Amino acid sequence: MVQSTLALGVEAVGCAAFDAGIKGAFGYPGTPSTEGFEAVELLIHGARDGRVAQWAANEKVAYDLALGMSYTGHRTLVTMKHVGLNVAMDAYTNSALTGVWGGLVVLVADDPGMHSSQNEQDSRRLAEFAWLPCLEPSTVQECYDLTFRAFALSEALQVPVMLRIVTRLAHCRAALARRATQAPASRGTVPESAIQDWVLIPANARRRYVDLLAKQPRLMAETTPLNRLVPGTTRRGVALSGMGRAYFGQLLHENPALAALPRLEIAAYPVDPALEQAFLAQVDEIVVLEEDYPVLEERLGLRGAARVRGRLDGTLPRTGELSPRLLKDALGLEAPAGKTATSLELPVRAPRFCDGCGHVDAYEALREALIQADAPETRVFGDIGCYTLAAQEPMAAIHAVVEMGASISMAVGAALAGRTPSVAVIGDSTFGHSGLPALLTAADAGVNVTVIILDNRVVGMTGQQPSQALDQVERMVRGMGIPDDQLQVLLPVPKQHDANVASVEAALRHPGPSVVVFRRECIQSIRRGVLKDHDRQERERCTTEVCS
Amino acid sequence: MNAPRIHGIVLSGVGGQGVLSLAQILLEALRRSGLHALQSEIHGMSQRGGSVHAQVCFSEAALTSPILDEGGADLLIALEPLEALRYVSMLRIDGHLVVAEEPQMDMAGYPPLDDVYAALKAVRGAHLVDTEDLARRLNHRQAGGMALLGMASKFLPVDIAVWRDVIAQRFEAKGARITEKNLEAFKAGRGLIQNPVDLT
Repeated sequence: MVQSTLALGVEAVGCAAFDAGIKGAFGYPGTPSTEGFEAVELLIHGARDGRVAQWAANEKVAYDLALGMSYTGHRTLVTMKHVGLNVAMDAYTNSALTGVWGGLVVLVADDPGMHSSQNEQDSRRLAEFAWLPCLEPSTVQECYDLTFRAFALSEALQVPVMLRIVTRLAHCRAALARRATQAPASRGTVPESAIQDWVLIPANARRRYVDLLAKQPRLMAETTPLNRLVPGTTRRGVALSGMGRAYFGQLLHENPALAALPRLEIAAYPVDPALEQAFLAQVDEIVVLEEDYPVLEERLGLRGAARVRGRLDGTLPRTGELSPRLLKDALGLEAPAGKTATSLELPVRAPRFCDGCGHVDAYEALREALIQADAPETRVFGDIGCYTLAAQEPMAAIHAVVEMGASISMAVGAALAGRTPSVAVIGDSTFGHSGLPALLTAADAGVNVTVIILDNRVVGMTGQQPSQALDQVERMVRGMGIPDDQLQVLLPVPKQHDANVASVEAALRHPGPSVVVFRRECIQSIRRGVLKDHDRQERERCTTEVCS
Repeated sequence: MNAPRIHGIVLSGVGGQGVLSLAQILLEALRRSGLHALQSEIHGMSQRGGSVHAQVCFSEAALTSPILDEGGADLLIALEPLEALRYVSMLRIDGHLVVAEEPQMDMAGYPPLDDVYAALKAVRGAHLVDTEDLARRLNHRQAGGMALLGMASKFLPVDIAVWRDVIAQRFEAKGARITEKNLEAFKAGRGLIQNPVDLT
């Protein structure tokens, strides 16, 4: 057995992309995808062979960076969480039509059970939607091996390939055997003869859509070898995908009698209808074990050939993650009796702001300023980041959180309905991700909206990655059309509380749009010294040049 | 023929206490002992002072499921007493738990501490340790985690030399003194369990 290293599932994808010779990796942080980018970034920085790892301002930008690199004939990886794919959706869907030149793999990490997300959408649906293949590993080693396969597939079919993992696999750590690292190599830029394939004016797009549909049988021929039908001896079977496959594999080890069940094991989509038919011919009843949406379950159910059990008929819960216990219950297996849980009531220990976090001081100032401005009932539109924690009691300081960048536009929408003052709270990185166009509209709308930018100088929640808005927030705000006299930069510390309250109150009372930036570095980032080098370089630069 | 048994360890505590770090040491030690091992952890928001837990499975046979069923764990290592109680039902009937007594009470509705200790002591196989006292005696503020690992080690099929290597490697970057301190805490914890049960 080769056990060269220990890695998380999501890191295994990054390692594989590096070993498969990518020229560059792009992404935007988001749990549970973040460590995939970080793993490849670490390898790239260590290799010093001209490869690049670049965080992007958002997932759409990351995807377009990858597509541009693919255009030059290089392999590339782009990483994001499931809801990040929504942000990249335009690029992703249309790249199915342009196709790729160098292999392009998009790692999408889904979060069933919503450990750190606002929904549990299933990315397999978006692969189907875009007519693209999706590979779904079930172990750390498969994360690695299927990433290699995904690059080969992407180049063979000239389409982007989605690699879909879920939280439990992303954050499963296990031994990983790596292959030899390939050096990045380009097959050359898109040749002149193929340029029109990449220009999606309607005349070309119509042709490319026909081409994409024509690729589907070949696509299925390429994915089919990754799926398999294991015959059994009973008329009751199981259909397995992703973690369903992993959990069932373990149960099979513990209960060898389960080998009697015919099983359909899926690791790649689309699934060949002939394989489905062959499976259904062997069974009268099946249980479908897949993570998230009932994708396989619906497909198999539509064939009407067997009784299909799963999330739709209540055999498994309609929402949330699979677990070994749920599998046992669904299969009618006995579960071991363990120790009895305590009868003592155990309140939830919710995550909270770090001691000394500047966000707390900023929220305190906002709360009091709303009282001073005679608007204590104001609804505050929040956004995605550590500062979302303020939605919890006892702070209850924000009253809506939807998706990246929603705070500003929703506040403007409420203000346009006449509900003023209207307040948005957004972090610096989220502002750079999706807040900029919203602020442009806010400035244009001219309504009384106060945008609070909590600038902690990093992407705090996902592990203090560098924020692309670093040292740029004021310039960005001015550039979006907010006048100088409606932009204030405050230091959120207890000592400044009274002055901060007065400043925020003035912004709230201003009849037009205003922006208040609360800037203090994330204390975790200070502790780790994330920006130490950056700040030293800036100080040195400032002694030799005139700084703004 | 019976398949080799799958063993499980649950680790729990509060964000910032080092639960994931302990889990990684365990994983590496088991792997170096020639066993198949998997570790499961959850990142993200839970790290901000919330409950954190990780699981480690190991076996002589290959593994695919990173998470344990309720009643499937042999051992619970808890860095905080209330966080221990949350996972008692993860343990097998004959499972053991090693628990730090020092509470982290910075949360709403923490039950009376005496009730928490009483509930823990009512669980067969519970080994509570006064980590605060131990830390004082060893003059090492963060001795608790390593001491718990030392206690846990008495239940695990890992050679003492492997533990030493893995711990030393883990703290290598922090210097010889820190490494020594951690090995000392590990040894102190190991001495607290008199009659270990061989899980294999």
